[in-house]
Amino acid sequence: MSDKPISKVYLEEGETFSSSQSFGERIVTPVRFSTDPRDIGWVRENVPCQTACPAGTNIPAYIRMITEKRFGRSYELNRIANVLPGVLGRICSRPCEDACRHGWPGNGEPVGICHLKRVATDFKSDGHRINESLFTPTHKRIVIVGSGPAGIAAAHDLSTLGHDILIFERERKTGGMLSYGIPEFRLPRDELDIELRNALRLGVEIQTGVGVGNGEMDVSLAWLRLHHDAVLLATGCMAAIPLPLDGFKKGEDDPVLNTPNVEYGLDFLMDLHRGEKKAVGKRVFVVGAGFTALDCARVARRLGAEEVTIHLRTTEEYIPVAKEEIFEAKREGIEILGLRTPTRLITGPDGSLKGVTFIQNRLGGWRKNGRRQAIPIEGSQFDEACDTLLVAIGQKSINDYIDVELRLDEWGNVKIDENGMTSADGLFAAGDFVRGASTVVEAVGHGRKIALKMDAWLMGYERRKEVVKIENIDGPLRERAYDFIPRQEMPTSNLQDRCKGLATEVEEGMDLEGAFEEAKRCYLCYHRYQIDVDNCIYCRACIEVAPRDCIKLVEGVDINKDGTYGALQEASDWNKVGAIWIDNNECIRCGACFMVCPTKCISITKNEIYPQDVSVKGKGMNGTKRKPKR
Amino acid sequence: MSAENHIVIIGSGGAGSEAALTIRQRDPDCHITQITGSKLPFISRYELPQVFNGVSGWRELLAEPPEYYDKNQITVRRNSWVDHVDAKNKKVLLKHKEEVSYDKLLVASGGGGYLPEGLREFQPLMNGFGTYEQAVKVRQALPKKGHVIMLGGDMTGLDLARTLVAVGHRVSLVVGEQLFWPHEVTDDQRAKFVSVLEDMGIKVMIDKKVTAVKLGGRGKPARRVVFDGGGGIDGDVVMPFCGLMPSLNFMIGADVDIERGLLVNPELKTTNDSIWAAGDVCQIWSPEENSYLFYYGWHYIKEMGKIAAINMTGGKKKISTYQDDHLYINKQGEIDSPYWMYR
Repeated sequence: MSDKPISKVYLEEGETFSSSQSFGERIVTPVRFSTDPRDIGWVRENVPCQTACPAGTNIPAYIRMITEKRFGRSYELNRIANVLPGVLGRICSRPCEDACRHGWPGNGEPVGICHLKRVATDFKSDGHRINESLFTPTHKRIVIVGSGPAGIAAAHDLSTLGHDILIFERERKTGGMLSYGIPEFRLPRDELDIELRNALRLGVEIQTGVGVGNGEMDVSLAWLRLHHDAVLLATGCMAAIPLPLDGFKKGEDDPVLNTPNVEYGLDFLMDLHRGEKKAVGKRVFVVGAGFTALDCARVARRLGAEEVTIHLRTTEEYIPVAKEEIFEAKREGIEILGLRTPTRLITGPDGSLKGVTFIQNRLGGWRKNGRRQAIPIEGSQFDEACDTLLVAIGQKSINDYIDVELRLDEWGNVKIDENGMTSADGLFAAGDFVRGASTVVEAVGHGRKIALKMDAWLMGYERRKEVVKIENIDGPLRERAYDFIPRQEMPTSNLQDRCKGLATEVEEGMDLEGAFEEAKRCYLCYHRYQIDVDNCIYCRACIEVAPRDCIKLVEGVDINKDGTYGALQEASDWNKVGAIWIDNNECIRCGACFMVCPTKCISITKNEIYPQDVSVKGKGMNGTKRKPKR
Repeated sequence: MSAENHIVIIGSGGAGSEAALTIRQRDPDCHITQITGSKLPFISRYELPQVFNGVSGWRELLAEPPEYYDKNQITVRRNSWVDHVDAKNKKVLLKHKEEVSYDKLLVASGGGGYLPEGLREFQPLMNGFGTYEQAVKVRQALPKKGHVIMLGGDMTGLDLARTLVAVGHRVSLVVGEQLFWPHEVTDDQRAKFVSVLEDMGIKVMIDKKVTAVKLGGRGKPARRVVFDGGGGIDGDVVMPFCGLMPSLNFMIGADVDIERGLLVNPELKTTNDSIWAAGDVCQIWSPEENSYLFYYGWHYIKEMGKIAAINMTGGKKKISTYQDDHLYINKQGEIDSPYWMYR
């Protein structure tokens, strides 16, 4: 055996790998990087989980690492896109699973992507060391206001890019909604603490308990802008949207705030996590359809409520919450009732809550934000008795701490341009503060995106661009039998024990056996199967063995305006067949075609979106002049 | 109607079967396909208690003889599970990857026994009672003078309990929220009806919350039901009777509105112009109640099938959304209802 180090071959753009290149007995994987829009478009279209992930996590890659028992590497692959894998492996809203090809019609259930993210965290070795790719210090000073998921993600990425970061957090603890909005039984605080510390350990300075604004003890935004190169606002959506009860007008006293035992869910959870003692009655109603509503209901159950009901304007089908969370809430005895909107609070002579008047709804069309409309039915009011009402119908941003006039969008959120900047120079904004209330993973994704834009603005050019890393694969890494493995269940804590307090984590984490089984289910959609038409003898053997209609005889393939592949022009007449083409959208990467091909004209490549550093002629990576060569 | 008109019915229960026959009567030329997950032709679930009463084979319980389907030119696709419905392209996709195109679709997939989420993990240790095969399994698991523990107490369960007691088995009923479901009874009525059950020889256990179902200990009956706060009860078979849950997962994403059931207007049409629904799977808009409601009972289910079929074949008939569902004690001293079929 040669003792030469294992190396990969990196080719220049346009260069192809030659099999005559010799590297002794070492196995060498040829790798090339492509900026061809067809390749970028292929990944976007064919790796639906990664495309759906707001943080752009390379999901097939980290799942593949789990099948190879490389949990540390799997964790790091997660961390490249999102600095909080242990957190999001528990509480992510899982848009990736909604998009997963395994869940497409006829393919069964989506892969448990979120649970596998947690597997990577749980099973990495005790001595695992995190990897960071650090740029040279730039001496640029950035202030981030707010330490929620968007602020944390931006702080991490900006610190690795070499900038000095100072975070101001109004609350005593960092984490924003992670620390104050999500109950411990869904997100254990020791796990959150580790991930936050890891994210902020690269020289990020944090000032907790210090607000930015116009208050006596606050730091003014104007002062921060004056003394720093850039400021990022990431203060989230920390105000509840008022409940539009009949007769209630904006600017008047809010009945929710002025009726005993009626409270906004956000305030309820924030106070609870600030250490305040909270109490609920025996019959609790929660109004709302998001994670906050579900969390309020589950907390109420743990605080001793005997009957907890969530009331929805639309129906359970449209709750933007992971199905498993809904199931666990139901297991805990929480009832969910749909098609009803509260219109009035019923109070007793002493002003205390006695019940709620609802109006019956029917489903209407779709709203701009992709949610279903609920249309009240005239004259269908009905009353239901309760002694506590928690309102969690949405959240909005608070802008009153900003001492500069900024342009706002139609929803009252601060507007940013394509560079992530507000209408004030050097003042950026990210996360829910800009986009309205969303999910943790969306906030993380947006925080990262804006961090890169800030870096480009500060440095004068983009220092990272996305390319497609393409690597040859020797053969299929899956077996057809994997397609029939059922989705593995997440073990959960004992039902009776978990409701006795707020700290018992509900999801206990998968065991190794379950984790491997689940990981095997992933189709590894980043594998691209292609037929070399020049070597194909059109024997149709691949078409015969294909379990789906994934191999097609085509006249040609459209190219979209942006240069990506478009629709396949299937040939109905043999004389018009221009090529035999693998439709990777239909393909489930079973490898059957590859195995049966008599001429070995089917190739497999791994295609990954990869952040590549960009250097500008005459400038180093930190924007300074390059030293002349000696 | 054109001979090319293909009407597909998902489900071969009371509503689906009534619909198939009505459609055939109104349109002799159309192509009717019934898709069912059952391996057997239609057997009414109300007939299943007869398995304990001397019935020796499934043929004796068939609602219609096999030749009935030939005679009426109704194609029944048995042992076929629907994966999803592609409403845009008007196709039903089966789990075994076959596609069935339709012009009009009736969803009459009924409901499966609802098992409260808190008891789901114990499902493997419990016996269902929705199909002939499940009924036979219970019969096989029960020794002579066996002991059945029922959880919940819906009307299907109480109907079975009546037969089990009559043939010499013991029945203990751990009362749940679903006692007498789908009927709603007042506290006073409830006490009266419970005493009727006790008179029938059923041991009724009130205020017991089930926390687990376990395998029985050595030398003891096969199952043990554990109660909150300790204690429990041993039995040979544990059966949940907690009401029905519409079987409609395959309709999610099929361009129809769903709350708990498929939402339909009084003509039983869903929010998709080519899809109707009938039976336990649908929630019907009740103008009187200003709400979408479920309707139960053998006669009503059949009526739904009939009306859906009439409307699918050019008719315009509305179902009455008034239903007399009061529970009472009849002259024989038995619990009875205007619409529930016991015998």
